[in-house]
Amino acid sequence: MSKDTILTNGRVYDPMHGIEGEVMDIYMSDGKIVEKVSESAKKIDLKGRLVMAGGVDMHSHIVGSKVGFGRAMCPEDHRKDPVPKTKYTRSGVGYTIPSSYVTGYRYSAMGYTTVIEPALPALKALGSWEEMEDLPNLNSGLLPMFCNSMITFDYIKEGDPSGLAAYIAWTLQSVGGLGVKVVNPGGTYAWAHGVDLRDHEGEIPGWGITPKEVTRGLCQAVESLKLPHMMHFHPNNLGRVGNVETTIAQLDSIRDIKGHGGRDHICHLTHMSFETLSSVEGGGNDWGDLESGGLKFAEYFNKNKHFTADMGQITFGPATTMTGDGPFEFYLYQLTGGKWTNIAVDVELPGGAGIVPYTYSPKAAGNSVQWAIPLEFALNVDDVWRCIISTDHPNAGPFTKYPLVFSWLMSKKQRDTWMEGMHKFAHERSTLPSIEHEWSLYDVVISTRAAPAKILGMEKLKGHLGVGADADVSVYDVDTTKVDFAKNPEKIIKTFSESYLTFLGGKQVSKKGKVKGVPNEGVWSVHPELNESLWERINKELEQKMNEWYSHSFHNYPVPARYRAHLEKKVMIDSTSVSA
Amino acid sequence: MTEGTHSNIVCVFCGCLCDDLQLEVQNNIITTNENGCAISKAKFLNHADDRLEGPAIRVNGTSKEVTLKEAIAKAVDIIANSKRLLVYGLSSTENDAHREAYKIAEEAGGVVDNTSSVCHGPTILGTQESGEAVAALGEVRHRSDLVIYWGSNPQFAHPRHMTLHTRAAGEFIKNPKTERKIWVVDIRKTISAGVADKFIRIEPGTDLEVISALRAIVRGKELDVDNVGGLPVSDLKEIAEVMKGAKYGVLFFGLGLTQSKGRHRNIDAAIRLIQDLNHYTKWSMMPMRGHYNVAGANKTSTWQTGYPFAVDYARGYPRYQPGEFTAVDMLMRGEADVLLNIAADPAAHFPRKALQHMGNISIINLDPKQNMTSLIAEVNVPTAIAGIECDGAAVRMDGLPLYLKQVVDPPENVLPDRDILRMIYDGLRRAKK
Repeated sequence: MSKDTILTNGRVYDPMHGIEGEVMDIYMSDGKIVEKVSESAKKIDLKGRLVMAGGVDMHSHIVGSKVGFGRAMCPEDHRKDPVPKTKYTRSGVGYTIPSSYVTGYRYSAMGYTTVIEPALPALKALGSWEEMEDLPNLNSGLLPMFCNSMITFDYIKEGDPSGLAAYIAWTLQSVGGLGVKVVNPGGTYAWAHGVDLRDHEGEIPGWGITPKEVTRGLCQAVESLKLPHMMHFHPNNLGRVGNVETTIAQLDSIRDIKGHGGRDHICHLTHMSFETLSSVEGGGNDWGDLESGGLKFAEYFNKNKHFTADMGQITFGPATTMTGDGPFEFYLYQLTGGKWTNIAVDVELPGGAGIVPYTYSPKAAGNSVQWAIPLEFALNVDDVWRCIISTDHPNAGPFTKYPLVFSWLMSKKQRDTWMEGMHKFAHERSTLPSIEHEWSLYDVVISTRAAPAKILGMEKLKGHLGVGADADVSVYDVDTTKVDFAKNPEKIIKTFSESYLTFLGGKQVSKKGKVKGVPNEGVWSVHPELNESLWERINKELEQKMNEWYSHSFHNYPVPARYRAHLEKKVMIDSTSVSA
Repeated sequence: MTEGTHSNIVCVFCGCLCDDLQLEVQNNIITTNENGCAISKAKFLNHADDRLEGPAIRVNGTSKEVTLKEAIAKAVDIIANSKRLLVYGLSSTENDAHREAYKIAEEAGGVVDNTSSVCHGPTILGTQESGEAVAALGEVRHRSDLVIYWGSNPQFAHPRHMTLHTRAAGEFIKNPKTERKIWVVDIRKTISAGVADKFIRIEPGTDLEVISALRAIVRGKELDVDNVGGLPVSDLKEIAEVMKGAKYGVLFFGLGLTQSKGRHRNIDAAIRLIQDLNHYTKWSMMPMRGHYNVAGANKTSTWQTGYPFAVDYARGYPRYQPGEFTAVDMLMRGEADVLLNIAADPAAHFPRKALQHMGNISIINLDPKQNMTSLIAEVNVPTAIAGIECDGAAVRMDGLPLYLKQVVDPPENVLPDRDILRMIYDGLRRAKK
């Protein structure tokens, strides 16, 4: 158990409670934020430094099959970024795909405490749980994919929403997942047939159903199960010029679905920078016709409240693209001609994945427009609580570049500086140069703490500093009353690159970049409890389907408790109302 | 453990990790192994034979049994006083043992390498050049209409590979006999070639030329020679056409490709050929991994260190350099002064010059069984057989992780590799203080 601690004289930003820059004391005991602590508590005088909840990254590829493959195939990524062991930490490497220990340490050093892996091939979950044992200093969670599975298709084709919901519940229980991820529904599967299916109303080969039906079916299943996190959505037709239209069409197609318990949002659209490429008037789908769709998408976003979004901000420099969208990676490989990996496991996964190392250049027309898209979007949205900062690590850039992203959002001066040498398309094909708006610090705290916690359904314990929250706290070495961030963007980067202090569950895990390694603090999962007859039915049906379709036994699918019990923080969900 | 029948047991022999074994256990002995191949049966039914005795320490050439505590103390002492520790093996044990082994290498500033440096290491180098369109065994069964085994003899080394994955019917290949063709490319007619639909014999050492020629033909280039690797260009053109015309092709390749002339260049070329074919149709590929958990060793090494094998910790952080930090090279150069060997038998497989050096240095050997390495090791610690006498996790040749169950108790006082390694690590930490 951690000692009791009082942080005194911190300038607190806690948007969940409407606190913006108030000087307050924070009390921590037994890993929680509490009302008061014992007399003997350790007192740390913060002398007016900035205090907020630990950062919550809801979309960052940090463990699992494709991350491992990406690391193994790119030794050149790590060579220039070795990380020696210290008295309190293990050694490892960076850069865009850091080794497991370094991933945890670097998040800690930046003041982040919760990070979600957003694309788990459920079939390979055991490997991710093993790896998370070596992912220190974080709370984490896994989002299994359900979007290219023949089992999903079968239930949708048969018009059996209970069966689909039960399959999801069974899988979340069996592999310890936190929610439902949907990646290019039907498209990755079609590609195994050699079919390039990007139209959400096209037919998934052999099934007589469409990606739209799959998306709707999965979205409805999430709501019927009453899962805390809504459908986490990577749509069809990613990375193509003009796809802002197809993305809007896909979001429109689920707008009528009712959120459970009256909740407003039923979908989280992830890495919007890849999905909101527009084309110039009268233009087609060529890269030469590319225009930012950020403003257009912001207008749609402001009018339609049924979804949330994260940015997937390009940060320039090396990145490693990796996604469950195999056909997109093949497309990217055709553009780069460099290394390309595809990981096929379509029926069983259900998904498939691709990996292509990629360097984003401000001199490249396409890259510069794609850089402008999420900024244009984020600076035009009317509700920051629905707009999350991400780089889709390591796809658009490594998570270590978040402070740079903050600086672009918070400082017009910084945007102007960066746009100076940038390809002219960034100026001509986006409205970014004329945008004066700047995010406040409060906006950044919402977007990196309170809002992602809320969207993930973890808002009781994460993303805020109220009594009862987990004592995940970050302190930054800045007096916000004495600095004008907008005029001094370098100060933004300096401040947020390294926390002054990071606490995880009440334990001090980092001080001025010096990290103390602690075991993984917990892997969050949901456990949707079905009624008995549905549970019985799904076990029978899945045993039959998996034994027919999979290359290993139904009985060897679940991740055994031995790899989970000591890490897992299971949230019980009453899903018994789903009819058998 | 439980007497009686154990179902859905994972086989811990080759990279297929067949998970349908049914074992009968009586009096802590496995009496039957249903579904397993001949090799699997031998491994499971004879698990109690040829066990390594000990713990033992060799003094003046004579092995003397000691307590586990004494053996660990000796191992710690040897490692703590080493200048250049080499940790090697790992591919025939489960993942948790690997994780402990890396900690020891890191603590001692040594090198850790797994057996892929002498099997599919070149495959990994190939993927580092070019990536790889990786196949999955489920997809192979459901979709593949053309399967090629290149430099691989599955009937001998992976006896159920064909039966379960390439000769079996799948969702879109209802009749594998008529809808799927299996080809074997090799330098001699192997038993697998004997049961294939087509055998393509190439001259030894010409794999790179043949693959490069196929690549050129697939890309529509004309060759200005009459034959390549002993094959007339007309044959190669036909092969290339059929490959382009397949709906879903899969290339399985073995050590005949990775360890023959050209090595990682062969694999790089094969990867590029498969990538090229993807511009026309669907193709993927898969290395035929030998030891049941060599794929796991690559995986665990990669997440902890960033690199899949050949990792040096001398500078306090992981560095990767195949050819320098690979076990054979470390020994041939006479660089390693201590070898910590886990679940492998380098004395039986390494070149003579490496062996000579092994004779001059201290070897700490962890294995369930007697082997050539145990005969020359200074410290021998018998361990439990993962997947039979203790549990763990392993990784199939296509990357699928599987849980290995314990079905019988290990011999008295015999512990899993991971426990022994943890004791050594803890001892090292104490010795440093």
